[in-house]
Amino acid sequence: MNKIIAWVDQRFPLTFFIKHELTDYPTPRNLSYWWGFGFLAGFVLVIQIVTGIFLAMHYKPDSNLAFDSVQHIMREVNYGWLIRYLHSTGASAFFAVIYTHMARTLYYGSYRRPRELLWWTGQGLLLLMMATAFMGYLLPWGQMSYWGATVITNLFKATPVYGDQIVTWLRGGFAVDDPTLTRFFSLHYLFPFLIFAAVAIHLVALHTVRSSNPSGINLADKDNIPFHPYFTIKDLFGLGIFMIVYLLIVFFKPDLFIDAANNIPANPMQTPADIVPEWYFLPFYAILRSVPDLAGGVVAMAISVLIFAAMPYLDRSRVTGGARYRPIYRAMFYIFVIDIFVLGYVGAHPPSLQIRTIGEVSTTIYFLTFLLLPFVSRWEEKFVLARGLPPAVEAMARKEIAEAEGNV
Amino acid sequence: MSEENTIKDGADLSRREFLGTVTAGVAAAGVAAACVPFVSSMNPSSDVLAKATTEIDLSVIAPGEEKTFPWQGKPVFVVHRTPEEIAAMAASKGGKDPEPDAKRVQKPEWLVVIGICTHLGCVPNKTESGWLCPCHGSVYDNSGRIISGPAPRNLDLPPYHFVAENKILIGKA
Amino acid sequence: MSNNKLFGLIFCLMFSARSAQADEAQLKRGAHVAVEVCNTCHSLKYLKYSDFLKLGFSKAEVDAMRGTKGMADPLISQMAPADELAMFSTVPPDLSLMAKARDGGANYIYAMITGFYTDAKGQTANHVFPGIKMPDVFMIAQADAAGRQGIEQKARDVSAFLEWASDPQAEERKTLGRYVIGYFVFLTVLLYFLKKKIWKRLD
Repeated sequence: MNKIIAWVDQRFPLTFFIKHELTDYPTPRNLSYWWGFGFLAGFVLVIQIVTGIFLAMHYKPDSNLAFDSVQHIMREVNYGWLIRYLHSTGASAFFAVIYTHMARTLYYGSYRRPRELLWWTGQGLLLLMMATAFMGYLLPWGQMSYWGATVITNLFKATPVYGDQIVTWLRGGFAVDDPTLTRFFSLHYLFPFLIFAAVAIHLVALHTVRSSNPSGINLADKDNIPFHPYFTIKDLFGLGIFMIVYLLIVFFKPDLFIDAANNIPANPMQTPADIVPEWYFLPFYAILRSVPDLAGGVVAMAISVLIFAAMPYLDRSRVTGGARYRPIYRAMFYIFVIDIFVLGYVGAHPPSLQIRTIGEVSTTIYFLTFLLLPFVSRWEEKFVLARGLPPAVEAMARKEIAEAEGNV
Repeated sequence: MSEENTIKDGADLSRREFLGTVTAGVAAAGVAAACVPFVSSMNPSSDVLAKATTEIDLSVIAPGEEKTFPWQGKPVFVVHRTPEEIAAMAASKGGKDPEPDAKRVQKPEWLVVIGICTHLGCVPNKTESGWLCPCHGSVYDNSGRIISGPAPRNLDLPPYHFVAENKILIGKA
Repeated sequence: MSNNKLFGLIFCLMFSARSAQADEAQLKRGAHVAVEVCNTCHSLKYLKYSDFLKLGFSKAEVDAMRGTKGMADPLISQMAPADELAMFSTVPPDLSLMAKARDGGANYIYAMITGFYTDAKGQTANHVFPGIKMPDVFMIAQADAAGRQGIEQKARDVSAFLEWASDPQAEERKTLGRYVIGYFVFLTVLLYFLKKKIWKRLD
């Protein structure tokens, strides 16, 4: 075996690559389990691709056959029910993992210089994921699939001048119909491989700037440890915990994320009582509905997703470590997280007066968090420097401030 | 002092290696087991397996007639042979793949063969004395035995049995 | 959450026996109600007659249920959709997935079947589904106490059957789930101790 590897190594940097980027790769020794969610996301991506490919062997992307083909998979294909439930639960698992991954990044300030590009490749990945999930949801061709796709494709009408044409172009027809289903299937199959490539780019960016860590301070070289075996085993243990939770849902509550209405074949003549997207889109759906104007709502929703990209510039504090040494940033983070859950609640319910009011308030809080950050972060910086910080942190902050002021 | 540590380390080392090996083994078994549903899903689904057998009513075939029925996606020739045909087949041994006619039928008046030429898979056409394959000219007799032409074997026999006087179930012996 | 509480939660999820799992006798009674009553107007097209063998019916019993239909044929409604449209002004929905298509599942179905009553105007109405176009097929609105009990039992049976029909592999899924999750608990425990052992090296 060693001879074969030596032969390859003369022609391809196999051992070098594995040693340099994986096994010997220096990693801060104090990474907590919150740093394992990136690995989990990659694992769930593989689950989705594998289960998706095997589902595609039996699924029929035709509006007359799609719903029946899903029942064929559930009832007649060997272990079809298992592959289907792994895939439907996997979509929710993917978002749960990614949102946690994003929360870790925001809390610890891992989006800050020099990790801006790492954060932006992550943003790109999130957008690809959302598109993939949206298109995938149409495929079962249930009532919620159909009407959810109708509502969201309708949003593109907000585009000035060409709105109607764009919607028709997207759908391949005058309503969501067979052409829409076929092209969504084609693209839903394609996008995960684009995601795979984007993950590779994301990892190259990561390996260039190296992982941040909970202290926010770049550790001395002696405090880095090789990724293998320390973090391979730690990530695997985290994976074990994740798999238990994930599989408990797959085997014992598999319909948890499947809306009841999606067990009814799509009926273009009848809208279900409540059109609700999957849980992972609810906060953005709530923001969309909070603005009474169609175009305004679409713009607000788009910005609510894209604004994360601005974080490296919105956060003007030079105190490192994210929320750790910054009590106000920490408070804003927790308020923001609670606000997202409130928005989710709003998105899940029909827009009564009460719900609408809560929605408007939560949407305002959502955007205010971002808009106030530039000012609050600077004020807070003064506040914590005056109050006192650990020496290393204070030294870093003062150095950065001096450099910035020196440049002015 | 250092010797104590070494001995303790040694014991720890082998215990750790044991734990590592066991964990790796358990994980590998899990990976192997995880492959089973995916590989299994590619096997025929229950609705396809239900089509593994086809019931055929023989009363629609008059003596001297032949009818073709689909079974598992393949054509099956069912011939209601006349006494003359049966006698002629009993007297002959066939061609390059000799086989007594009696071994190829359960009841002599009913010949049931898979209608796929054993050469390269075309469907032969019925003639007076048997079948002729249009692709490369293989000739079969009224027992489905290869008489002349490139086909190496007699027409294959599907498993079947009589469920009633005039009904057979193809797919199960 | 403490480790003990966590294991307790996992244990409960995996081994809750009374998770709406009906016994074989009830499912068979429910199957008879479905085939003899519901199937007159409703299709159950994702079920085949051969599926009844999985409920413990013998081939002879299934042959009696299917009449001239083939074993591999789906259970379509005995009335033609066009006639149903004329009679009920709607085509009765397929029942294969009804237990999943309604919040409350089997409980909803039970409540709906037993929810018929005669209103002030003497018309038949339904508590659960006002304006329902389905007739009171079991005639529970006019039943006396004893009759009502019998109908409620039928309703329980057919609701349990419809829950099975919407998810025939439920038992197989849960059984496999116990083994798979048991395996992962075992593997994760091993991984936990291995992680601790490896990280001890750093001290």
